Amino acid sequence: MTKWKRIKLNEFKFPKVTDYNKEYLSYGQLPQGVELNKINKTNNNLIIENLNNNITGVGDEFTSHVMANYNTGISLYIPKSTNIEDPIKLEFNMDDENPTTIDQNIIIASANSESTIIFDYTSKDENNFHNGVTKVYAKKNSVVNIIKIQRMDDKSYNFDSNIAYIEGRAVVNWISVEIGSDISGSNFTSILEDEASEGNLASIYLGNGTRKMDLEYTMIHKGRRSISNIETRGVLMDQATKVFRGNLDFKKGAKLSKGVEEEFVVLLDPTVKSHSIPALLCEEDDVQGEHAASAGQINDNQLFYLMSRGLDIREAKQLIIQASFRPILDKIPMDDLRDLILEEIDRRLLNG
Amino acid sequence: MSKNLLDIKDLKVNIDDIDILKGINLKINEGETHIIMGPNGSGKSTLAYTLMGHPNYSIEDGEIEFEGENINDLKADERAKKGIFLSFQYPEEIPGVTVEDFLRTAKSSVSGKKMGIITFKKVLKEKMKELDMDDEYASRYLNLGFSGGEKKKNEILLMSVLEPKLAILDETDSGLDVDAIRIVAEGVNKFKDENRSILVITHYDKLLSYLKPDYIHILLDGKIVKTGGIELAKEIDQKGYENIKMEFSN
Repeated sequence: MTKWKRIKLNEFKFPKVTDYNKEYLSYGQLPQGVELNKINKTNNNLIIENLNNNITGVGDEFTSHVMANYNTGISLYIPKSTNIEDPIKLEFNMDDENPTTIDQNIIIASANSESTIIFDYTSKDENNFHNGVTKVYAKKNSVVNIIKIQRMDDKSYNFDSNIAYIEGRAVVNWISVEIGSDISGSNFTSILEDEASEGNLASIYLGNGTRKMDLEYTMIHKGRRSISNIETRGVLMDQATKVFRGNLDFKKGAKLSKGVEEEFVVLLDPTVKSHSIPALLCEEDDVQGEHAASAGQINDNQLFYLMSRGLDIREAKQLIIQASFRPILDKIPMDDLRDLILEEIDRRLLNG
Repeated sequence: MSKNLLDIKDLKVNIDDIDILKGINLKINEGETHIIMGPNGSGKSTLAYTLMGHPNYSIEDGEIEFEGENINDLKADERAKKGIFLSFQYPEEIPGVTVEDFLRTAKSSVSGKKMGIITFKKVLKEKMKELDMDDEYASRYLNLGFSGGEKKKNEILLMSVLEPKLAILDETDSGLDVDAIRIVAEGVNKFKDENRSILVITHYDKLLSYLKPDYIHILLDGKIVKTGGIELAKEIDQKGYENIKMEFSN
């Protein structure tokens, strides 16, 4: 498991997987022809069709574990030119009775369709464990928005592998919010397969306590004029550790493609560890890849300045952090969800 | 006689174990304008930061009383809520926070009252006009990419929105051109009334011709060595600090 060296997860042992029995799926009006099914092992054609298609994600051991042990998830088929207006929402709330969520999600978005799917992972008790694989097939001209919120408890482990196969002029927008778990690893890979395929990833993370996270975002440009954009804002405090890997991979044939990645992190304490590893791979000349990264500290003078205007120390830190997260949070289309995230961020800042 | 607002008694402050302020005594009553002048390194900015409650400046001895209450141990935000304001010599840049959002947050923190967005917008627009500031400043990030003069104007804007009882202006005139000084001075004069007091810290007399100070104090090596009227500033303008230094070197 060399992949996990940086956050020292060399001797990781998978817990025993038990059933996930809680209700987790909610949705509004589903247009005709949409097939939305909960997954169980014995009865799911879409899953079985895709079983031999394993991905690396956060690591082969983890994705293989999902293939072998999945206990929940969805399969979603959206017919051509169909717009699902209300987001489909999956909420996994782990506890002592349902300590493991091993979800396998397959989303097939036919041409010209539009959809939004929200995944919200929370946990209540110690040693809760999430390991999941989400695959998105975005056919021509489709738009798929995937919002993943991980706000699990500090004793939990989270691993999440995501991949999108994006056809010509289709767009996949990933939004990832990483604010929980003792150890969290997530991977979002977008394969821009054809002319003007577009993949966007916007993420925020907050690391507090002794939490560790490894975030990897990969954009593989295959099609001409394909477009990718990675925009990440983070905050680290206490003894938290974070590894950010942003990969822009321009394959042969990806002429005139453009990829941009940027990561801005605010470091609240000198004891945090923040690693940023942007990579740019080019097999094609005529491409444009840009990356920007910055790590900023809130220094005593900044805090004093804000406090001298009447904000207490917590409000002063909150202001700076919320300002940093705002552009990403504004992309989440639901106010109540945004408020939940802000609340959780506040709670963690307060405890820190 | 007007009421006392600030009473500094034998204030001694050190930074990293070096004595900077060595026994300051200063009384400011409501409605008064005081100027503290002094050469570089005399302790002017230390006094400003100490009055506002910067955590790096530790009070070794003495007392700061505000409206009769000892505020030695109050944090900066608690002092702000009591009505003390510091216009910074070097205002901090805060990316991602707009001037308008910040002013509104600060106003509701200081006053303890929430103000509606629309009402606040109106107030802000008026105050900005008075300071000859373009509307677009409101949506810019706090002090980010502002010129020295713009930052100082923004401090005065903060002051006029927050309406403190005591405004401390730390080198507000430095880095300003003549027109900007006039506008800032007008802003300060508009702010001043029979209840509000101003403490200006400067090493020039540029602002003084616009303000009508009641007292001028000369700060030398951590102590106020001389107090007088506007004539004292004129003397320093002509002769520098050397004469006074000579006078007090023994």
